[in-house]
Amino acid sequence: MNGPRKFFDRESALTPLDTELELTFRDPAGELRLTEGCALRRIRPAAEEETRAFLASTLRKTLEQSGELISSRIAEPGSHPCISSGEFWLEHPRIDPISYPWEWTTAQWRAAAELTLRVASQTIDAGWTLKDATPLNILFSGPRPILVDVLSFERRDPHSSVWLAYGQFVRTFLLPLVAAKYLSWPLQTTLFARDGYEPRQIHDALPRWRRMNPKLLDVVTLATVFERPGQRGAASKKTPSTTDPDLVRHVLQKRIARLGKQIRYAAGDRSHSQWSRYEKNAAHYQAADVEEKQQFVKSVLARCRPNHVLDIGANTGTYSLLAADAGASVVALDSDTAALEELWRTALDRKKPITALVADIARPTPAAGWCNREHLSLLDRLTGRFDLVLMLAVVHHLILRHQLPLTHIAGLCAALTHRWLLLEWVPPSDPMFQEWLRGRDDLYGHLTEDDLTRAFASHFHVADRAQLGNGRVLFLFDRIPT
Amino acid sequence: MSRMKVFQILSVALILVGSLLIFERPAYAYADPGTGLLAVQAAGSALVATGWYLRRKIYSLFRSGDETQHEPNNQSVADGEDSPNP
Repeated sequence: MNGPRKFFDRESALTPLDTELELTFRDPAGELRLTEGCALRRIRPAAEEETRAFLASTLRKTLEQSGELISSRIAEPGSHPCISSGEFWLEHPRIDPISYPWEWTTAQWRAAAELTLRVASQTIDAGWTLKDATPLNILFSGPRPILVDVLSFERRDPHSSVWLAYGQFVRTFLLPLVAAKYLSWPLQTTLFARDGYEPRQIHDALPRWRRMNPKLLDVVTLATVFERPGQRGAASKKTPSTTDPDLVRHVLQKRIARLGKQIRYAAGDRSHSQWSRYEKNAAHYQAADVEEKQQFVKSVLARCRPNHVLDIGANTGTYSLLAADAGASVVALDSDTAALEELWRTALDRKKPITALVADIARPTPAAGWCNREHLSLLDRLTGRFDLVLMLAVVHHLILRHQLPLTHIAGLCAALTHRWLLLEWVPPSDPMFQEWLRGRDDLYGHLTEDDLTRAFASHFHVADRAQLGNGRVLFLFDRIPT
Repeated sequence: MSRMKVFQILSVALILVGSLLIFERPAYAYADPGTGLLAVQAAGSALVATGWYLRRKIYSLFRSGDETQHEPNNQSVADGEDSPNP
Protein backbone atom coordinates (compact mmCIF):
# COMPACT_ATOMS: atom_id res chain seq x y z
CA MET A 1 0.00 0.00 0.00
CA ASN A 2 1.24 3.50 -0.80
CA GLY A 3 2.26 5.85 1.96
CA PRO A 4 0.35 9.12 2.24
CA ARG A 5 2.97 11.26 0.49
CA LYS A 6 3.01 8.98 -2.51
CA PHE A 7 -0.79 8.78 -2.53
CA PHE A 8 -1.15 12.55 -2.79
CA ASP A 9 1.68 12.95 -5.29
CA ARG A 10 0.09 10.63 -7.81
CA GLU A 11 -3.41 12.09 -7.54
CA SER A 12 -3.92 14.49 -10.43
CA ALA A 13 -6.80 16.10 -8.54
CA LEU A 14 -4.37 17.41 -5.97
CA THR A 15 -2.15 19.34 -8.32
CA PRO A 16 -3.16 22.90 -9.18
CA LEU A 17 -5.47 23.04 -12.17
CA ASP A 18 -3.73 25.32 -14.65
CA THR A 19 -4.53 23.72 -17.97
CA GLU A 20 -7.03 25.34 -20.33
CA LEU A 21 -10.49 23.85 -19.86
CA GLU A 22 -13.51 23.77 -22.11
CA LEU A 23 -16.33 24.03 -19.61
CA THR A 24 -19.55 24.75 -21.48
CA PHE A 25 -20.43 23.50 -24.91
CA ARG A 26 -24.16 22.73 -24.88
CA ASP A 27 -25.32 26.12 -26.19
CA PRO A 28 -25.14 26.04 -30.02
CA ALA A 29 -24.29 29.76 -29.92
CA GLY A 30 -20.86 29.29 -28.35
CA GLU A 31 -18.56 27.70 -25.83
CA LEU A 32 -16.57 28.77 -22.80
CA ARG A 33 -12.93 28.11 -22.00
CA LEU A 34 -11.28 28.78 -18.71
CA THR A 35 -7.68 29.93 -18.70
CA GLU A 36 -5.53 30.81 -15.73
CA GLY A 37 -6.12 34.55 -16.17
CA CYS A 38 -9.61 34.86 -17.68
CA ALA A 39 -12.64 33.13 -19.12
CA LEU A 40 -12.84 33.08 -22.92
CA ARG A 41 -16.09 32.66 -24.79
CA ARG A 42 -16.13 31.73 -28.45
CA ILE A 43 -19.18 32.96 -30.33
CA ARG A 44 -20.14 30.86 -33.29
CA PRO A 45 -20.82 32.71 -36.61
CA ALA A 46 -24.58 32.11 -36.45
CA ALA A 47 -24.81 33.96 -33.12
CA GLU A 48 -22.34 36.75 -33.89
CA GLU A 49 -24.79 39.39 -35.09
CA GLU A 50 -27.13 38.85 -32.11
CA THR A 51 -24.23 38.95 -29.63
CA ARG A 52 -22.79 42.14 -31.10
CA ALA A 53 -26.25 43.74 -30.90
CA PHE A 54 -26.52 42.75 -27.24
CA LEU A 55 -23.04 44.07 -26.46
CA ALA A 56 -24.03 47.41 -28.00
CA SER A 57 -27.32 47.58 -26.09
CA THR A 58 -28.20 49.78 -23.12
CA LEU A 59 -29.48 46.66 -21.39
CA ARG A 60 -25.99 45.12 -21.27
CA LYS A 61 -24.52 48.39 -19.97
CA THR A 62 -27.17 48.67 -17.25
CA LEU A 63 -26.77 45.05 -16.12
CA GLU A 64 -22.98 45.30 -16.03
CA GLN A 65 -23.08 48.55 -14.08
CA SER A 66 -25.41 47.07 -11.48
CA GLY A 67 -23.03 44.12 -11.07
CA GLU A 68 -25.72 41.63 -12.10
CA LEU A 69 -23.98 40.56 -15.30
CA ILE A 70 -20.34 39.64 -15.79
CA SER A 71 -18.38 42.20 -17.76
CA SER A 72 -17.31 41.32 -21.30
CA ARG A 73 -14.88 42.69 -23.81
CA ILE A 74 -14.11 41.56 -27.33
CA ALA A 75 -10.85 39.57 -27.31
CA GLU A 76 -8.23 40.68 -29.80
CA PRO A 77 -7.15 38.04 -32.34
CA GLY A 78 -3.84 36.58 -31.22
CA SER A 79 -4.26 37.72 -27.60
CA HIS A 80 -4.69 34.08 -26.57
CA PRO A 81 -3.28 30.98 -28.26
CA CYS A 82 -6.76 29.52 -28.86
CA ILE A 83 -8.04 32.54 -30.84
CA SER A 84 -7.64 32.25 -34.59
CA SER A 85 -8.10 35.19 -36.94
CA GLY A 86 -11.64 35.64 -38.16
CA GLU A 87 -13.13 34.18 -34.97
CA PHE A 88 -15.24 36.17 -32.55
CA TRP A 89 -14.28 35.71 -28.88
CA LEU A 90 -15.25 37.49 -25.69
CA GLU A 91 -13.09 37.80 -22.61
CA HIS A 92 -14.55 37.82 -19.09
CA PRO A 93 -12.84 38.14 -15.71
CA ARG A 94 -12.52 34.86 -13.82
CA ILE A 95 -14.59 34.31 -10.73
CA ASP A 96 -12.76 32.03 -8.34
CA PRO A 97 -13.58 29.58 -7.08
CA ILE A 98 -16.46 28.40 -9.26
CA SER A 99 -19.35 27.51 -6.98
CA TYR A 100 -21.94 25.03 -8.18
CA PRO A 101 -25.62 25.02 -7.18
CA TRP A 102 -25.13 21.75 -5.28
CA GLU A 103 -22.77 23.68 -3.00
CA TRP A 104 -25.21 26.50 -2.18
CA THR A 105 -27.44 27.00 0.82
CA THR A 106 -31.18 27.54 0.37
CA ALA A 107 -30.72 31.30 0.79
CA GLN A 108 -28.12 31.31 -1.98
CA TRP A 109 -30.53 29.42 -4.26
CA ARG A 110 -33.13 32.05 -3.59
CA ALA A 111 -30.67 34.87 -4.26
CA ALA A 112 -29.60 33.25 -7.53
CA ALA A 113 -33.22 32.67 -8.61
CA GLU A 114 -34.24 36.23 -7.74
CA LEU A 115 -31.28 37.59 -9.68
CA THR A 116 -32.34 35.55 -12.71
CA LEU A 117 -35.91 36.85 -12.47
CA ARG A 118 -34.74 40.43 -11.97
CA VAL A 119 -32.58 40.20 -15.08
CA ALA A 120 -35.40 38.47 -17.00
CA SER A 121 -37.79 41.29 -16.09
CA GLN A 122 -35.39 44.03 -17.23
CA THR A 123 -34.65 42.03 -20.34
CA ILE A 124 -38.34 41.82 -21.29
CA ASP A 125 -38.79 45.57 -20.91
CA ALA A 126 -35.77 46.17 -23.14
CA GLY A 127 -37.14 43.97 -25.94
CA TRP A 128 -34.87 41.03 -25.21
CA THR A 129 -35.36 37.71 -23.47
CA LEU A 130 -33.34 35.10 -21.58
CA LYS A 131 -33.23 31.95 -23.70
CA ASP A 132 -32.09 29.84 -20.75
CA ALA A 133 -32.52 30.24 -17.01
CA THR A 134 -30.61 27.75 -14.89
CA PRO A 135 -28.59 28.04 -11.66
CA LEU A 136 -25.56 26.92 -13.67
CA ASN A 137 -25.57 30.38 -15.30
CA ILE A 138 -24.97 31.98 -11.89
CA LEU A 139 -21.72 32.16 -9.93
CA PHE A 140 -21.10 33.72 -6.54
CA SER A 141 -18.48 36.44 -6.55
CA GLY A 142 -17.87 36.52 -2.81
CA PRO A 143 -21.39 36.45 -1.36
CA ARG A 144 -22.99 38.17 -4.37
CA PRO A 145 -24.62 36.21 -7.21
CA ILE A 146 -23.75 37.23 -10.75
CA LEU A 147 -25.07 36.09 -14.14
CA VAL A 148 -22.14 34.85 -16.19
CA ASP A 149 -23.75 33.65 -19.40
CA VAL A 150 -23.74 36.50 -21.91
CA LEU A 151 -25.12 34.16 -24.58
CA SER A 152 -28.37 33.83 -22.64
CA PHE A 153 -29.70 37.01 -24.22
CA GLU A 154 -31.60 37.03 -27.48
CA ARG A 155 -34.03 39.41 -29.10
CA ARG A 156 -37.61 38.80 -28.11
CA ASP A 157 -40.46 38.15 -30.51
CA PRO A 158 -42.77 41.05 -29.52
CA HIS A 159 -45.83 38.98 -30.41
CA SER A 160 -45.03 35.82 -28.44
CA SER A 161 -46.24 35.59 -24.86
CA VAL A 162 -44.18 32.48 -24.14
CA TRP A 163 -40.93 32.61 -22.19
CA LEU A 164 -39.16 29.56 -23.57
CA ALA A 165 -36.83 29.35 -20.56
CA TYR A 166 -39.80 29.17 -18.16
CA GLY A 167 -39.74 25.36 -18.12
CA GLN A 168 -36.03 25.28 -17.40
CA PHE A 169 -36.39 27.86 -14.62
CA VAL A 170 -39.15 25.82 -13.00
CA ARG A 171 -37.24 22.53 -13.29
CA THR A 172 -33.85 23.81 -12.18
CA PHE A 173 -34.65 26.57 -9.67
CA LEU A 174 -38.15 26.16 -8.33
CA LEU A 175 -38.74 22.41 -8.14
CA PRO A 176 -35.46 21.62 -6.32
CA LEU A 177 -36.50 24.18 -3.68
CA VAL A 178 -39.98 22.63 -3.49
CA ALA A 179 -38.39 19.16 -3.15
CA ALA A 180 -36.06 20.40 -0.41
CA LYS A 181 -38.95 22.04 1.49
CA TYR A 182 -41.58 19.32 1.28
CA LEU A 183 -39.68 16.13 0.50
CA SER A 184 -36.38 16.79 2.31
CA TRP A 185 -34.47 16.08 -0.89
CA PRO A 186 -31.21 17.93 -0.19
CA LEU A 187 -30.29 20.63 -2.69
CA GLN A 188 -26.90 18.88 -2.90
CA THR A 189 -28.55 16.03 -4.85
CA THR A 190 -28.98 18.37 -7.82
CA LEU A 191 -25.43 17.25 -8.61
CA PHE A 192 -27.19 14.29 -10.21
CA ALA A 193 -29.95 16.34 -11.86
CA ARG A 194 -28.35 18.77 -14.34
CA ASP A 195 -31.73 19.74 -15.79
CA GLY A 196 -33.49 19.75 -12.42
CA TYR A 197 -36.67 17.81 -11.68
CA GLU A 198 -39.61 17.14 -13.97
CA PRO A 199 -43.00 18.27 -12.56
CA ARG A 200 -44.14 14.62 -12.59
CA GLN A 201 -41.26 13.56 -10.30
CA ILE A 202 -42.34 16.07 -7.69
CA HIS A 203 -46.05 15.43 -8.27
CA ASP A 204 -45.68 11.69 -7.70
CA ALA A 205 -43.56 12.15 -4.59
CA LEU A 206 -45.80 14.73 -2.90
CA PRO A 207 -48.74 13.66 -0.72
CA ARG A 208 -52.08 14.09 -2.52
CA TRP A 209 -53.25 17.05 -0.43
CA ARG A 210 -49.99 18.90 -1.02
CA ARG A 211 -50.42 18.64 -4.80
CA MET A 212 -53.40 20.97 -4.56
CA ASN A 213 -51.44 23.75 -2.84
CA PRO A 214 -52.47 26.87 -4.83
CA LYS A 215 -48.89 28.17 -4.74
CA LEU A 216 -47.65 25.09 -6.61
CA LEU A 217 -50.75 23.94 -8.48
CA ASP A 218 -49.60 25.22 -11.89
CA VAL A 219 -45.95 24.12 -11.84
CA VAL A 220 -46.54 20.71 -10.27
CA THR A 221 -50.08 19.41 -10.75
CA LEU A 222 -51.28 21.20 -13.90
CA ALA A 223 -47.90 20.75 -15.59
CA THR A 224 -48.17 17.01 -14.91
CA VAL A 225 -51.75 16.83 -16.14
CA PHE A 226 -50.93 18.75 -19.34
CA GLU A 227 -47.82 16.68 -19.99
CA ARG A 228 -47.86 15.00 -23.38
CA PRO A 229 -44.98 12.52 -23.34
CA GLY A 230 -45.49 11.39 -26.94
CA GLN A 231 -45.13 14.88 -28.36
CA ARG A 232 -42.10 15.64 -30.52
CA GLY A 233 -39.32 18.08 -29.61
CA ALA A 234 -39.50 21.79 -29.01
CA ALA A 235 -39.32 22.71 -32.67
CA SER A 236 -42.70 21.16 -33.32
CA LYS A 237 -44.42 22.80 -30.36
CA LYS A 238 -46.77 25.67 -30.89
CA THR A 239 -46.68 28.70 -28.68
CA PRO A 240 -49.46 31.20 -28.06
CA SER A 241 -49.14 34.50 -29.84
CA THR A 242 -50.97 37.76 -29.87
CA THR A 243 -50.64 40.88 -31.94
CA ASP A 244 -50.53 43.39 -29.09
CA PRO A 245 -46.93 43.87 -27.87
CA ASP A 246 -48.10 45.69 -24.72
CA LEU A 247 -50.29 42.75 -23.77
CA VAL A 248 -47.39 40.36 -24.42
CA ARG A 249 -45.12 42.36 -22.15
CA HIS A 250 -47.82 42.44 -19.48
CA VAL A 251 -48.29 38.66 -19.66
CA LEU A 252 -44.54 38.00 -19.47
CA GLN A 253 -44.04 40.33 -16.51
CA LYS A 254 -46.95 38.72 -14.68
CA ARG A 255 -45.30 35.32 -15.19
CA ILE A 256 -42.00 36.59 -13.80
CA ALA A 257 -43.81 38.10 -10.82
CA ARG A 258 -45.57 34.81 -10.06
CA LEU A 259 -42.30 32.88 -10.27
CA GLY A 260 -40.81 35.36 -7.80
CA LYS A 261 -43.63 34.67 -5.33
CA GLN A 262 -43.24 30.91 -5.80
CA ILE A 263 -39.48 31.08 -5.20
CA ARG A 264 -39.98 33.10 -2.00
CA TYR A 265 -42.56 30.59 -0.84
CA ALA A 266 -40.44 27.52 -1.64
CA ALA A 267 -37.22 28.95 -0.18
CA GLY A 268 -39.04 29.21 3.14
CA ASP A 269 -37.71 30.43 6.45
CA ARG A 270 -34.25 30.41 7.91
CA SER A 271 -33.07 27.03 9.13
CA HIS A 272 -31.20 26.27 12.33
CA SER A 273 -29.03 23.36 13.38
CA GLN A 274 -26.85 22.26 16.26
CA TRP A 275 -23.86 23.82 14.48
CA SER A 276 -25.48 27.11 13.49
CA ARG A 277 -25.84 27.82 17.23
CA TYR A 278 -22.60 26.10 18.14
CA GLU A 279 -20.59 29.19 19.02
CA LYS A 280 -23.39 30.69 21.11
CA ASN A 281 -23.97 27.43 22.99
CA ALA A 282 -20.37 26.18 23.23
CA ALA A 283 -19.93 25.30 26.92
CA HIS A 284 -16.36 24.11 26.41
CA TYR A 285 -15.24 27.64 25.56
CA GLN A 286 -15.02 30.36 28.19
CA ALA A 287 -15.08 33.98 27.08
CA ALA A 288 -11.37 34.30 27.94
CA ASP A 289 -10.51 31.31 25.71
CA VAL A 290 -12.49 32.78 22.82
CA GLU A 291 -10.74 36.11 23.26
CA GLU A 292 -7.33 34.41 23.42
CA LYS A 293 -8.07 32.37 20.29
CA GLN A 294 -9.26 35.40 18.35
CA GLN A 295 -6.18 37.41 19.37
CA PHE A 296 -3.91 34.60 18.18
CA VAL A 297 -5.76 34.33 14.84
CA LYS A 298 -5.50 38.11 14.40
CA SER A 299 -1.76 38.00 15.15
CA VAL A 300 -1.32 35.22 12.57
CA LEU A 301 -3.25 37.23 9.96
CA ALA A 302 -1.08 40.28 10.70
CA ARG A 303 2.06 38.20 10.41
CA CYS A 304 1.16 36.19 7.29
CA ARG A 305 -0.81 38.93 5.45
CA PRO A 306 -2.59 36.38 3.26
CA ASN A 307 -4.42 37.33 0.06
CA HIS A 308 -6.33 34.06 -0.22
CA VAL A 309 -7.62 32.17 2.80
CA LEU A 310 -9.45 28.85 2.98
CA ASP A 311 -11.51 28.34 6.14
CA ILE A 312 -12.32 24.63 6.53
CA GLY A 313 -15.22 24.02 8.93
CA ALA A 314 -16.04 27.73 8.89
CA ASN A 315 -19.30 27.36 10.88
CA THR A 316 -20.99 30.79 11.14
CA GLY A 317 -17.84 32.52 9.95
CA THR A 318 -16.20 34.25 12.94
CA TYR A 319 -12.71 33.53 11.63
CA SER A 320 -13.57 33.96 7.95
CA LEU A 321 -14.72 37.47 8.84
CA LEU A 322 -11.49 38.16 10.73
CA ALA A 323 -9.55 37.06 7.63
CA ALA A 324 -11.74 39.21 5.37
CA ASP A 325 -11.28 42.18 7.73
CA ALA A 326 -7.53 41.64 7.37
CA GLY A 327 -7.87 42.12 3.60
CA ALA A 328 -8.02 38.51 2.37
CA SER A 329 -10.56 36.98 0.03
CA VAL A 330 -11.92 33.93 1.77
CA VAL A 331 -13.42 30.61 0.74
CA ALA A 332 -15.45 29.21 3.63
CA LEU A 333 -16.41 25.52 3.67
CA ASP A 334 -18.82 23.80 5.97
CA SER A 335 -21.07 20.78 5.59
CA ASP A 336 -23.74 22.34 7.84
CA THR A 337 -26.04 24.36 5.59
CA ALA A 338 -27.73 26.28 8.41
CA ALA A 339 -24.41 27.49 9.85
CA LEU A 340 -23.12 28.39 6.41
CA GLU A 341 -26.32 30.26 5.60
CA GLU A 342 -25.67 32.55 8.57
CA LEU A 343 -22.13 33.09 7.35
CA TRP A 344 -23.34 33.93 3.83
CA ARG A 345 -25.95 36.40 5.12
CA THR A 346 -23.38 38.13 7.31
CA ALA A 347 -20.87 38.34 4.45
CA LEU A 348 -23.56 39.76 2.16
CA ASP A 349 -24.72 42.32 4.75
CA ARG A 350 -21.18 43.43 5.50
CA LYS A 351 -20.03 43.21 1.85
CA LYS A 352 -17.12 40.91 2.70
CA PRO A 353 -15.33 38.90 -0.02
CA ILE A 354 -16.27 35.51 1.37
CA THR A 355 -17.42 32.66 -0.88
CA ALA A 356 -19.51 30.17 1.09
CA LEU A 357 -19.56 26.57 -0.13
CA VAL A 358 -21.56 23.73 1.40
CA ALA A 359 -18.92 21.02 1.27
CA ASP A 360 -17.41 18.34 3.43
CA ILE A 361 -13.62 18.27 3.20
CA ALA A 362 -13.69 14.59 4.19
CA ARG A 363 -15.91 13.79 1.18
CA PRO A 364 -15.21 16.65 -1.24
CA THR A 365 -17.66 17.43 -4.04
CA PRO A 366 -16.76 15.15 -6.96
CA ALA A 367 -16.28 16.14 -10.57
CA ALA A 368 -19.47 15.82 -12.61
CA GLY A 369 -21.01 16.24 -16.02
CA TRP A 370 -19.78 15.22 -19.44
CA CYS A 371 -16.61 13.10 -19.20
CA ASN A 372 -16.34 14.22 -15.58
CA ARG A 373 -14.75 17.45 -16.87
CA GLU A 374 -17.79 19.71 -17.18
CA HIS A 375 -18.04 20.51 -13.48
CA LEU A 376 -14.81 20.46 -11.54
CA SER A 377 -14.32 18.64 -8.28
CA LEU A 378 -13.89 20.72 -5.14
CA LEU A 379 -10.20 19.84 -4.90
CA ASP A 380 -9.65 20.70 -8.58
CA ARG A 381 -10.85 24.19 -7.70
CA LEU A 382 -9.07 24.65 -4.39
CA THR A 383 -5.72 22.90 -4.63
CA GLY A 384 -2.70 25.16 -4.28
CA ARG A 385 -4.70 28.38 -4.34
CA PHE A 386 -4.32 29.60 -0.77
CA ASP A 387 -1.69 31.44 1.25
CA LEU A 388 -3.32 30.40 4.50
CA VAL A 389 -5.61 27.52 5.42
CA LEU A 390 -7.61 27.66 8.66
CA MET A 391 -8.48 24.30 10.25
CA LEU A 392 -9.87 25.39 13.57
CA ALA A 393 -11.29 22.52 15.63
CA VAL A 394 -11.69 20.31 12.58
CA VAL A 395 -8.96 17.68 12.91
CA HIS A 396 -10.71 15.73 15.69
CA HIS A 397 -13.80 15.45 13.45
CA LEU A 398 -11.69 14.05 10.61
CA ILE A 399 -10.06 11.54 12.98
CA LEU A 400 -13.10 10.42 14.97
CA ARG A 401 -15.98 10.76 12.50
CA HIS A 402 -14.16 9.88 9.30
CA GLN A 403 -11.35 7.67 10.65
CA LEU A 404 -8.72 9.58 8.69
CA PRO A 405 -5.06 9.10 9.68
CA LEU A 406 -3.19 12.27 10.69
CA THR A 407 -0.64 11.72 7.91
CA HIS A 408 -3.40 11.86 5.27
CA ILE A 409 -4.81 15.05 6.79
CA ALA A 410 -1.33 16.59 6.67
CA GLY A 411 -1.01 15.62 2.98
CA LEU A 412 -4.29 17.30 2.10
CA CYS A 413 -3.36 20.48 3.98
CA ALA A 414 -0.03 20.59 2.14
CA ALA A 415 -1.89 20.33 -1.19
CA LEU A 416 -4.28 23.16 -0.33
CA THR A 417 -1.89 25.79 1.03
CA HIS A 418 1.33 26.91 -0.51
CA ARG A 419 2.52 28.56 2.69
CA TRP A 420 0.63 28.74 5.98
CA LEU A 421 -1.67 26.46 7.96
CA LEU A 422 -3.37 27.50 11.20
CA LEU A 423 -4.66 24.43 12.99
CA GLU A 424 -6.46 23.98 16.30
CA TRP A 425 -5.61 20.77 18.09
CA VAL A 426 -8.36 19.37 20.29
CA PRO A 427 -6.85 16.92 22.82
CA PRO A 428 -8.58 13.66 23.90
CA SER A 429 -9.42 15.22 27.27
CA ASP A 430 -11.64 17.85 25.57
CA PRO A 431 -15.44 17.34 25.96
CA MET A 432 -15.94 17.56 22.19
CA PHE A 433 -13.29 14.91 21.57
CA GLN A 434 -14.92 12.72 24.22
CA GLU A 435 -18.35 13.22 22.62
CA TRP A 436 -17.13 11.68 19.37
CA LEU A 437 -14.77 9.11 20.94
CA ARG A 438 -17.67 6.75 21.70
CA GLY A 439 -15.76 3.97 23.39
CA ARG A 440 -12.84 3.87 20.96
CA ASP A 441 -10.30 4.89 23.59
CA ASP A 442 -7.81 2.24 22.54
CA LEU A 443 -7.71 3.57 19.00
CA TYR A 444 -7.80 7.32 19.55
CA GLY A 445 -7.71 8.08 23.29
CA HIS A 446 -3.89 8.14 23.38
CA LEU A 447 -3.36 10.79 20.65
CA THR A 448 -1.18 13.69 21.70
CA GLU A 449 -0.05 16.90 20.06
CA ASP A 450 3.32 15.20 19.49
CA ASP A 451 1.53 12.70 17.24
CA LEU A 452 0.11 15.66 15.33
CA THR A 453 3.42 17.49 14.85
CA ARG A 454 5.18 14.22 13.88
CA ALA A 455 2.51 13.50 11.23
CA PHE A 456 2.78 17.03 9.83
CA ALA A 457 6.60 17.17 9.99
CA SER A 458 7.13 15.88 6.45
CA HIS A 459 5.18 18.87 5.02
CA PHE A 460 5.36 21.61 7.65
CA HIS A 461 7.40 22.97 10.51
CA VAL A 462 5.86 24.68 13.51
CA ALA A 463 6.18 28.46 13.22
CA ASP A 464 4.17 29.37 16.32
CA ARG A 465 2.13 27.74 19.06
CA ALA A 466 -0.40 28.94 21.64
CA GLN A 467 -2.04 26.91 24.40
CA LEU A 468 -5.55 28.02 25.37
CA GLY A 469 -6.94 27.86 28.91
CA ASN A 470 -9.28 25.00 27.96
CA GLY A 471 -6.36 22.75 26.90
CA ARG A 472 -6.70 23.25 23.15
CA VAL A 473 -3.60 24.21 21.21
CA LEU A 474 -3.26 26.51 18.19
CA PHE A 475 -0.43 25.73 15.78
CA LEU A 476 0.82 27.95 13.00
CA PHE A 477 2.51 25.64 10.51
CA ASP A 478 4.81 26.88 7.76
CA ARG A 479 4.98 24.70 4.67
CA ILE A 480 8.36 23.21 3.82
CA PRO A 481 9.16 24.24 0.22
CA THR A 482 9.11 21.31 -2.21
CA MET B 1 -73.71 49.24 -17.73
CA SER B 2 -76.05 47.98 -20.42
CA ARG B 3 -76.44 44.24 -20.99
CA MET B 4 -75.32 44.79 -24.54
CA LYS B 5 -72.02 46.27 -23.42
CA VAL B 6 -71.37 43.44 -20.96
CA PHE B 7 -72.06 40.96 -23.74
CA GLN B 8 -69.69 42.85 -26.02
CA ILE B 9 -66.88 42.86 -23.46
CA LEU B 10 -67.23 39.18 -22.64
CA SER B 11 -67.30 38.27 -26.32
CA VAL B 12 -64.11 40.17 -27.04
CA ALA B 13 -62.46 38.65 -23.94
CA LEU B 14 -63.36 35.16 -25.11
CA ILE B 15 -62.04 35.87 -28.60
CA LEU B 16 -58.82 37.14 -27.03
CA VAL B 17 -58.40 34.02 -24.91
CA GLY B 18 -59.22 31.86 -27.90
CA SER B 19 -56.74 33.68 -30.10
CA LEU B 20 -53.99 33.12 -27.56
CA LEU B 21 -54.67 29.41 -27.54
CA ILE B 22 -55.44 28.91 -31.22
CA PHE B 23 -53.15 31.21 -33.20
CA GLU B 24 -49.94 29.45 -32.37
CA ARG B 25 -46.39 29.90 -33.57
CA PRO B 26 -43.57 27.37 -33.62
CA ALA B 27 -41.22 27.60 -30.60
CA TYR B 28 -37.49 27.17 -30.95
CA ALA B 29 -35.31 26.74 -27.89
CA TYR B 30 -32.16 24.88 -27.07
CA ALA B 31 -33.33 24.52 -23.47
CA ASP B 32 -36.24 22.08 -23.27
CA PRO B 33 -39.40 24.15 -22.65
CA GLY B 34 -41.27 21.03 -21.48
CA THR B 35 -44.70 20.05 -22.73
CA GLY B 36 -46.71 20.41 -19.52
CA LEU B 37 -45.03 23.64 -18.49
CA LEU B 38 -45.54 25.11 -21.96
CA ALA B 39 -49.26 24.35 -21.67
CA VAL B 40 -49.30 25.94 -18.20
CA GLN B 41 -47.82 29.07 -19.77
CA ALA B 42 -50.50 29.12 -22.46
CA ALA B 43 -53.30 28.78 -19.93
CA GLY B 44 -51.71 31.40 -17.66
CA SER B 45 -51.29 33.79 -20.59
CA ALA B 46 -54.97 33.46 -21.46
CA LEU B 47 -56.04 34.23 -17.89
CA VAL B 48 -53.75 37.23 -17.54
CA ALA B 49 -54.76 38.53 -20.97
CA THR B 50 -58.45 38.28 -20.07
CA GLY B 51 -57.92 40.18 -16.83
CA TRP B 52 -55.87 42.80 -18.63
CA TYR B 53 -58.53 43.29 -21.30
CA LEU B 54 -61.48 43.35 -18.89
CA ARG B 55 -59.75 45.82 -16.62
CA ARG B 56 -59.09 48.13 -19.55
CA LYS B 57 -62.66 47.90 -20.71
CA ILE B 58 -64.21 48.40 -17.30
CA TYR B 59 -61.93 51.37 -16.72
CA SER B 60 -62.94 52.87 -20.05
CA LEU B 61 -66.67 52.45 -19.28
CA PHE B 62 -66.33 54.81 -16.34
CA ARG B 63 -64.38 57.20 -18.53
CA SER B 64 -66.56 56.77 -21.60
CA GLY B 65 -66.83 60.48 -22.15
CA ASP B 66 -63.08 60.94 -22.51
CA GLU B 67 -61.80 57.49 -23.36
CA THR B 68 -58.64 58.31 -25.21
CA GLN B 69 -57.45 60.73 -22.59
CA HIS B 70 -58.04 58.53 -19.54
CA GLU B 71 -57.47 55.00 -20.73
CA PRO B 72 -54.77 53.53 -18.50
CA ASN B 73 -51.30 53.49 -19.89
CA ASN B 74 -50.24 49.91 -20.63
CA GLN B 75 -46.65 50.75 -19.91
CA SER B 76 -47.42 51.80 -16.35
CA VAL B 77 -49.61 48.74 -15.78
CA ALA B 78 -46.72 46.48 -16.67
CA ASP B 79 -44.10 48.47 -14.81
CA GLY B 80 -46.09 49.04 -11.65
CA GLU B 81 -48.02 45.90 -10.92
CA ASP B 82 -45.70 43.43 -12.50
CA SER B 83 -42.48 44.30 -10.83
CA PRO B 84 -41.05 40.90 -9.86
CA ASN B 85 -39.52 42.20 -6.66
CA PRO B 86 -41.94 44.66 -5.16
